Amino acid sequence: MSRVLALAQKELLQIRRDHVLPRLILLLPTAMLLLFGYAINFTLKGIPLALYDGSKDRISEALLGQLTREGVFRLALEAESPEGVVAAIDRGQARVGLAVPPKALEKVRRGESVAPRVYVDGTDPNFAFQAQAALRKALQEVNARILVGRALAGETVLPPLAPELHTLYNPENRTAWFMIPGIIGLVLTMFTVLLTALSIVREAESRMMESLLASPLRPHEMVLGKVLPYLAIAFGVALLVLALGHWAFGVPVRGSLGLLLLAMFLFVLGSLAAGVLISTLARTQVQAVFGTYAYAFPTIFLSGFVFPLDGMPRFFQLLSYLVPARYLIEALRGVMLKGVGLGVLWPHLLALALFSGLVLFLASVRLGRQVAV
Amino acid sequence: MVHAEELTRSFGALRALDRVSLKVRPGEVFGLLGPNGAGKTTLVRVLTGVLRPDGGRAWVAGLDVARASYRVKERIGYATQEQSVYRDLTVEENLLFRASLYRPKEAKALAEEALVRFGLGPYAKALAGHLSGGWRQRLALAQAVVHRPEVLFLDEPTTGLDPLSRRGIWDLIHEEAKRGAAVLVTTHYMDEAERCHRLALLLGGRVLAQGTPQELKALARERARFLFAQGVSLEALRGLPDVLEAWPSGEGVRLIARPSFPLGPGFREVEPSLEDVFVLLAKEAL
Repeated sequence: MSRVLALAQKELLQIRRDHVLPRLILLLPTAMLLLFGYAINFTLKGIPLALYDGSKDRISEALLGQLTREGVFRLALEAESPEGVVAAIDRGQARVGLAVPPKALEKVRRGESVAPRVYVDGTDPNFAFQAQAALRKALQEVNARILVGRALAGETVLPPLAPELHTLYNPENRTAWFMIPGIIGLVLTMFTVLLTALSIVREAESRMMESLLASPLRPHEMVLGKVLPYLAIAFGVALLVLALGHWAFGVPVRGSLGLLLLAMFLFVLGSLAAGVLISTLARTQVQAVFGTYAYAFPTIFLSGFVFPLDGMPRFFQLLSYLVPARYLIEALRGVMLKGVGLGVLWPHLLALALFSGLVLFLASVRLGRQVAV
Repeated sequence: MVHAEELTRSFGALRALDRVSLKVRPGEVFGLLGPNGAGKTTLVRVLTGVLRPDGGRAWVAGLDVARASYRVKERIGYATQEQSVYRDLTVEENLLFRASLYRPKEAKALAEEALVRFGLGPYAKALAGHLSGGWRQRLALAQAVVHRPEVLFLDEPTTGLDPLSRRGIWDLIHEEAKRGAAVLVTTHYMDEAERCHRLALLLGGRVLAQGTPQELKALARERARFLFAQGVSLEALRGLPDVLEAWPSGEGVRLIARPSFPLGPGFREVEPSLEDVFVLLAKEAL
């Protein structure tokens, strides 16, 4: 144990002596958090709207009022004709257009249907989908108000289906709430795998491994001594992201913090072992960096970190079951946003434990073989 | 002490060690002399428990290296060919780290003592990467012996150093032997080999001969004549069947010849150097 501590202490000294690394370790996750939390926002606000108002009556007023009320849309331009609306989108002055035909109020009074034309910039499907949803919601609100008014006047019946929508866990659709569990997963993957792999490969590359091999340091002591500092660092950084997310973005931790830490621990254990495994395959630090990228790439795309797994072709959905970060992120979202416990999350934790066990086993086999050349 | 018996190790088709046997006694500086690729480093790696031999046995500090490799590792010191110091750590930190790998409880005292013993005190807080080559080698040596090992392995401890630094290193090596350690040093500098108590000449993984420098020279004198000649052309000498090797030296020619070679005028016998001995034995082995 004292040998493990000696190695860990030396490792920490080397990290501290490095001019760049400690700052990167602190700044990178913070920058990622702010970037994903503030800048990359999937919740739309202030979408520029081009309007052609052919009626200029209470109906068109109500429509515009509803659209701009929550700040989702803002009136960017009033066109002289319906064609002017599309032209404004072409020029990029607006991304959404609304053309209200003439005499809307009269038609409504006569019980006829008014068909306002809505245009959405579809260059970004993600944007188009959300903008359409927001437009539809605003139109429904106006419809409902008109219908309620009529029903009170005894003129007509209410529509048979009037759904009442509840968005669970994250009712305001805050991106940060969705992203932060993912960022924790990504940070844990990158830091643990990359730093561990690099620290071991550096030892071999600078020819220091030979004298460590000739010392009484056992292979498992070497792994522990190398891995412990990065375990501490990864945990510290993950907690930093968690705290920042909580204070700056109000991300809740509704479930048990202990369960959260357990999931993180299981995941980090496996990731550290993956770093050791990569280090046994790579001869140079450059190879180790690329090896880590090869390992981390599926994490970004197949873990549900940003890209929803539900939209993927079946093959990739199946493939995602092999990505350990998927289970971590699901467990984190489960604990933080849903507030569910072990009864729901045990399959994810079991998967993480299996992953860690397997990679630890592979890493020690590979390393053992390398030591006994 | 070190005792190797018939050690053999191959890398693919290459026989790096071919039935090597030798003994190093406590208090003795034993030199392993040979050109690059002779198998010196492979032998050190086998004896330090880093590499497993294909055949043969070895005992170091009274323990079987193959069976008790970790107990052996606790009792030896090993300075690798590539000055194995962490350049981003200070001299003191390097020593402290090494010492705590072997004797964590006494680490501080041991590191302190090594600083003094090797004259590294003034550089204690300097980064190892900022030291000159000679001082860095001193540190490499200091950390190999910081835990006071019974057996010390030094792989080319003076390669790339200036003559003055080399002398300094050799004095330190002898001090370790005086302390009672068995020291095995590899080198390809023939002049350095003279500083060893005993030597083994290694070529192509095989021990050509071993003994004290005097014994080796005596052995060589029995098998050949070592001569210096003036007024004779080098080309003519090289053409003679009894001349094993000839090369220019100062104003004349040095040559190694079979005992049957006649001493003509202008020839005189000289004391063979260890290099001469090595050249002769290498010629015979081929």
